Amino acid sequence: MSTLTPTTPAKPARGIRSIEGKAPRAQRESPFARVSAMIVMAVFTLYFLVPIWWLLVAASKNRSQFNSTNPLWFADFSLFENIGNLVAYRDGVYLKWMLNSALYAGVGALVGTIIAGMCGYALAKYNFPGRELIFNVVLGGVLVPATALALPLFLIFSQISLTNTFWSVFLPSLVSPFGVYLARIYASASVPDELIEAARLDGAGELRTFFTVSVRMMVPALVTVFLFQFVAIWNNFFLPLIMLRDETLFPVTLGLYAWNSQVNQIPVLRDYVLIGALLSIIPLIIIFLLLQRFWRNGLSAGSVK
Amino acid sequence: MQIKKRAAAVALLTAATVVLTGCASGSTTSAGDAAACEPSEGKVDLTFTTWIPGMEDAVKVWNDENPDVQVKVQTGPNGNGGTYQNFFNQLKAGNAPDLGQIEYDALPNFRVQDGLMDLAACEGVLDAKNDFVDWTWGQVNFGEDDAVYAVPQDAGPMAMFYRTDLFEANNIAIPTTWEEFAVAAEAVRATGGYITNFSQSDINQFAGFVWQAGGSWFENDGDNWTVDLASPESVKVADYWQDLIDRDLVSTNPPWTDEWNNAYNTGSNWTWNSAAWGANSIASGAPDTSGKWSVALSPQWASGDNAAGNWGGSSTAVFKGSKHPYEAAQFALWLNTSDEALTMLNKSANLYPAAKSGLELPALKEGIEFYGGQAIYDVFAEASAQVSPDFIWGPTMTQVYNDTSDGFKGAVTGNGTLSDALTSSQKSTIDALEAQSIPVNK
Amino acid sequence: MSAPAVPLTDAPGSAARKRPRVAKPEKPAGAKPRVQHKGAILAFVLPFGTLFALFYLVPIGYAIYQSLLVIEREGTFGQATQVFGGLTQYILVFQNGPFWTSIGRVLAFGAVQVPIMLGLALLFALLLDSPLVRGKKFFRLAFFVPYAVPGVIAAIMWGYLYSPNLSPFRAVTENINFLSADLVLWAIANVVTWVFVGYNMLIIYSALLAIPTELYEAARIDGAGQLRIAWSVKIPLIMPAIILTAIFSIIGTLQLLAEPQVFRSFSSAVTSTFTPNLTVYSTSSIPNFNLAAAFSVVLALATFILSFTFLKFTQRKEAK
Repeated sequence: MSTLTPTTPAKPARGIRSIEGKAPRAQRESPFARVSAMIVMAVFTLYFLVPIWWLLVAASKNRSQFNSTNPLWFADFSLFENIGNLVAYRDGVYLKWMLNSALYAGVGALVGTIIAGMCGYALAKYNFPGRELIFNVVLGGVLVPATALALPLFLIFSQISLTNTFWSVFLPSLVSPFGVYLARIYASASVPDELIEAARLDGAGELRTFFTVSVRMMVPALVTVFLFQFVAIWNNFFLPLIMLRDETLFPVTLGLYAWNSQVNQIPVLRDYVLIGALLSIIPLIIIFLLLQRFWRNGLSAGSVK
Repeated sequence: MQIKKRAAAVALLTAATVVLTGCASGSTTSAGDAAACEPSEGKVDLTFTTWIPGMEDAVKVWNDENPDVQVKVQTGPNGNGGTYQNFFNQLKAGNAPDLGQIEYDALPNFRVQDGLMDLAACEGVLDAKNDFVDWTWGQVNFGEDDAVYAVPQDAGPMAMFYRTDLFEANNIAIPTTWEEFAVAAEAVRATGGYITNFSQSDINQFAGFVWQAGGSWFENDGDNWTVDLASPESVKVADYWQDLIDRDLVSTNPPWTDEWNNAYNTGSNWTWNSAAWGANSIASGAPDTSGKWSVALSPQWASGDNAAGNWGGSSTAVFKGSKHPYEAAQFALWLNTSDEALTMLNKSANLYPAAKSGLELPALKEGIEFYGGQAIYDVFAEASAQVSPDFIWGPTMTQVYNDTSDGFKGAVTGNGTLSDALTSSQKSTIDALEAQSIPVNK
Repeated sequence: MSAPAVPLTDAPGSAARKRPRVAKPEKPAGAKPRVQHKGAILAFVLPFGTLFALFYLVPIGYAIYQSLLVIEREGTFGQATQVFGGLTQYILVFQNGPFWTSIGRVLAFGAVQVPIMLGLALLFALLLDSPLVRGKKFFRLAFFVPYAVPGVIAAIMWGYLYSPNLSPFRAVTENINFLSADLVLWAIANVVTWVFVGYNMLIIYSALLAIPTELYEAARIDGAGQLRIAWSVKIPLIMPAIILTAIFSIIGTLQLLAEPQVFRSFSSAVTSTFTPNLTVYSTSSIPNFNLAAAFSVVLALATFILSFTFLKFTQRKEAK
């Protein structure tokens, strides 16, 4: 799979590009180019955000106003009241769900990123027999739809009596084949062999080199992997659906899914589903904002120098 | 090295497969065995998986009164939203709960998958037969007089919800036969509205219509199933609705959507042929129309008939492999016959009881404000008495619903007719039964 | 952890300075090269590897095994046993017309949707990486947010937005029925694009961040504008990331399940066999695990053939 090892130039010298890419020298980009670029971005921002805006507006309305008022603007603003009702419903089970999601996704993505990063790094930087085989097998694993794996996975966990526990959702969530792929690409691109050689010659062990030197080079990449893994686990309801029976273990998305399936019997749940969904996006946005600063141009790991 | 690694991978897979298949062996008792049902010693803990809201409160009453038999409620999405799948997985893995909520139309499937325990040997269960409306008992014993596989919980006798004010204002008579219904549909259309919405995916509602018309989609003589989706009664109902669709006399909104709610809320749709539990759905989906609705018996095929269909209804079943069938059966009986539990479930989940005593609950005798003060449940009680006990569900209803709905969806968009859909899903149902080696008459 | 004492006194750009290397011992002809750092490699690969084997490979093995079984039973409610049936289930799969129609459908879907989605993702990533755009942080967040929305909400949201009567864009939806048989596939394509453009954009963007800026300096000195830089410098360097997103998009397209499932509840045109993965899901809810397993194996093979062909194609282009 030589396509996935990029052709890095022979001299990967590092420079420090200023953040936000503002060119320190005179601008060469024409005003026309700038304006066109901004227009394109603005138009698509509308495309991406209008449905979200709709969700916010919908969550702030009473049921009775839902269909009768302008969907893109507020009617009586009862967002906080709705949130209060949501949180009070069934003794605050929604908050428990949020906590569960934070655990599954937070710890799960952290551990998952580390092990995927390690594996991808090894595949990129070391030559060993079976390297391509592992790579291909990992890809092969993704080819089979998850729907077919539901029963076998359940059987595995039943064998070790771990169904309906935290671990039944947590452990499978740690596996991110996509993370391994990304890590391999980014490791190939950003971690120069010379650096590793240098560390090696100075007596540092491979693992130590990884955690102290290479990881810093791969920070933007690992942050991306973490973010995606976090969102994937947060929004995954299929795995918890087959593993969990105890409502107090549900993540938010499974809880909302369960409520939504009962809407025919308890129509008020529709409102809670909308508000619950809106609230569940917020932690994801917060994580994103926190992680943004790791996306720096150039490599701030130039501190190694 | 590559070869060694490959060999290792194969060995791992083989070993794992052997392990997994070992644990996935089917149960060893043969079907029809009434397992001996003895009380257990000491304190008993039961698990009960259900999606009915408010169940925990009803169960709490039992737990307070029965310190030696504690029931833990587990919840999740509704049956077809994933919980039935989970039950099948759990039965295979041997860790199913003691009790489960199963709708009537899913019971034969669980029976065929050998997941239900015969409760006939459990004290009091067979005797409870007379406590329940006749046809509901038929749903849980599959026609076997000395066996019973679940305890009926609720029912969905069908009647017609209609907008009193609109019919009155436009001088249109409330239809009592389907012929009158079609005529009224024309009059309603002339005012700009639709008399009702035809649901392309509520196949169990359609089955309720066929039920009312005296048809049955499945027969079971003990040796073979017979599939009869395109029986004369079924085709009669299909052609009737196809005619209304073709003449644009009914709307075809996908049901349970905002669109669908909106049609009722704005008075664009005037009636809904639905079950007792539907009362709450209209109240929430069309809040602006409060006080303007009433309930009447369903239109009949021939003037003077008194038949009604049923839509929905579920039961409480004890899964095979439960270690405490006696206690589970006692709990199931209590849950579905005691006034206290039935009142609570009716209040929290709008369940319409299958137990005869449940029909006399005070809550079900009151006038409902949304329906202009009418004591609507009197109508449903009457309808419930008119439901035929001869309707049987097949063992693969999820598949039947999927295939029929696929065809109905085509029909409402102009691709084929409802009858064609029934004929085609007749064939695919037989195929599905054969694919599982379930004996079926061709 | 403190930084190791690496005496990297080279000035940037002088990696050409050779370090004294330990001469490798002469190997006898024909011997395989010794694998170095075995322990470390194991330590890196084993954690992921064992979990992957346990939660992916073992279930796949089991599913393949299941697909080779058939059920036999006696009587209408008779006891069922699973016996070896060879390729019986696979014959059923190949005879299933709607399944193959659905494969054709997702292929058509992918041929249009994937290039558009990735083209947009690439465009936005390049724009964000260039000096042409201000407010990058805001745009990064805005484009990412759709991916954060849980799937169950998409049903309600898009059902509403596409609704003829209730949509804020009623002027359009009243006249064009996006949920009809002709257009529903593209309505779904729109939703998938909406969700995943930001996701793919961030992957490509992260790859762009790794490019050393000195490369741009050379191009700038030559007078190249942003477009030229993007075309000649950036894109070739991030090709692996682009190819990766393409492969995973192809796989995702063939496994399309969540969005069609959601559309089923409000569109008359989406059947239970609309996409191959929907067929797998419907079949396993009957429940017919064995047939569902056979469907998934065939689907996986189809996906493999497609991904492999795509990879070979791109490799050949790269080799030019």
